[in-house]
Amino acid sequence: MSKNLYTTKTPKVLLSLFALLVFFAFETLYIFSTKSLDSESLEKRKEFVSIVALPDLAISTEATFIRHRSMSDLFSIYKDDGSLREYFVSTYTYSHSHKADKSAK
Amino acid sequence: MRNKINFYLIEYAINAILRQRYKNIFIATTLTFLIFLLTSIFFITNSIKYELNATVDALPEIVVQKIKAGRHYDIETHATEEILAITGVVDAVARVWGYYYFENAGVNFSIVGVDEFEAQYKESLKRVVETSNLMNTKESSMVVGSGVKETMQNNYYKDYFNFIKPDGTLKRVDVVGVFDGDTQLESNDMIVMSKADVREIFDMRESKATDIVVKVSNPDEVATIASKIKLIFPDSRIITKNDLKISYQNIFDYKSGIFLALFVVSLFTFFIIIYDKASGLSSEEKREIGILKAIGWRVDDVLKEKFYEGFIISFFSYMIGVIAAAGFVYIFQAPLLQNIFTGYSQLKASFELPFIFDVQTLFLVFFLSVPIYIAATIIPSWKIATLDADEVIR
Repeated sequence: MSKNLYTTKTPKVLLSLFALLVFFAFETLYIFSTKSLDSESLEKRKEFVSIVALPDLAISTEATFIRHRSMSDLFSIYKDDGSLREYFVSTYTYSHSHKADKSAK
Repeated sequence: MRNKINFYLIEYAINAILRQRYKNIFIATTLTFLIFLLTSIFFITNSIKYELNATVDALPEIVVQKIKAGRHYDIETHATEEILAITGVVDAVARVWGYYYFENAGVNFSIVGVDEFEAQYKESLKRVVETSNLMNTKESSMVVGSGVKETMQNNYYKDYFNFIKPDGTLKRVDVVGVFDGDTQLESNDMIVMSKADVREIFDMRESKATDIVVKVSNPDEVATIASKIKLIFPDSRIITKNDLKISYQNIFDYKSGIFLALFVVSLFTFFIIIYDKASGLSSEEKREIGILKAIGWRVDDVLKEKFYEGFIISFFSYMIGVIAAAGFVYIFQAPLLQNIFTGYSQLKASFELPFIFDVQTLFLVFFLSVPIYIAATIIPSWKIATLDADEVIR
């Protein structure tokens, strides 16, 4: 005890560092057990992909090339210039749906 | 171990941090926030990449497309026969698929036609479709992704959908099933129906197909077979599974690269501020170091103390930032940041990011933040600590 007489804050700081590490370990464990892909749902996904046989994810679907982007234009990444990479709105003329969004002009 | 680490120095470092409480709290908060942002972006990228790579092996090895005048063009179905004749090819299927733009909602559906909608795919489909009264109807029927289903329902199509054919007439197709929620990230915008129906909707002749998928059993033969197909059909574009993997890598390198670039800028700004503040050490701090030296501290004692100071602040910020990022991304599903990756489609998938523990990311962020911060605090102190004590105090 006398050893800590002049260093009262050090153990607290070290302890809280340790507590953070432990907390992180528990958080990781919790996420790992609840949010990892289980084999059943992974099988389902693979089954689905093998049926439709199309690549890419359905995370962005407004422009046609974003969803099977790797299928629709694999070559055009360097079409004009090595440094120009297309992205939606900048390199495509795309008519917005006036029915869906009345405020759009 | 106890003899090596001088606890009095650590105690002194803690007290030094507490003496400048508000400045240090501000620095720690900023650093935490920067680390949190960068780690979150990397976590999201890794999860999506993991999801993509998990399913990429289920794809066919080779896709053959016809290119005419620099554009994708319908390929003749009889090309499959010539491809099947190549040694090593297990299967070659002419595929019909395309995008259907649904103007009312402003979204693109991906329509895929499958061979023998009733027979060979039935078993496979059963496993991924939620309702099982498949194929009982004589009419045209389709299985849709949950995003498509929702969009249709919002537009008052409950059990069927009217596709507008190129000539303006309508084609009614019944919805007989919805893809399992587990596959939402893949199936959200998908519609699967029989090839004949897809041909009718896109007005495509029997002899034409969108592209040809080729299955090869030996992965070592893919490159050879691809070049053989290219020789037979010089007007074709051959996409192998490997090309797709590279393309995936490009997308995510690009997206997370933008963030790394932005982050590096803000990180540098941050360190310039830290360095600037530290190198213009206030006269009080200078005097502190001078007095420490005058009462017998060596240069390395001062540097050790400064190291502890920097380490405590940066490591705490790092840990809190990483913990918050993991919670934000995987428990709360990254509310605002996810939009950056999902684009601004109306057909948004509400997917769960699968967890993947990525040590590389943690190390990358660690080495980008902690050592640099420590260096930014030690170097100015070292400059002063090497001066003579009386010079500094005076």
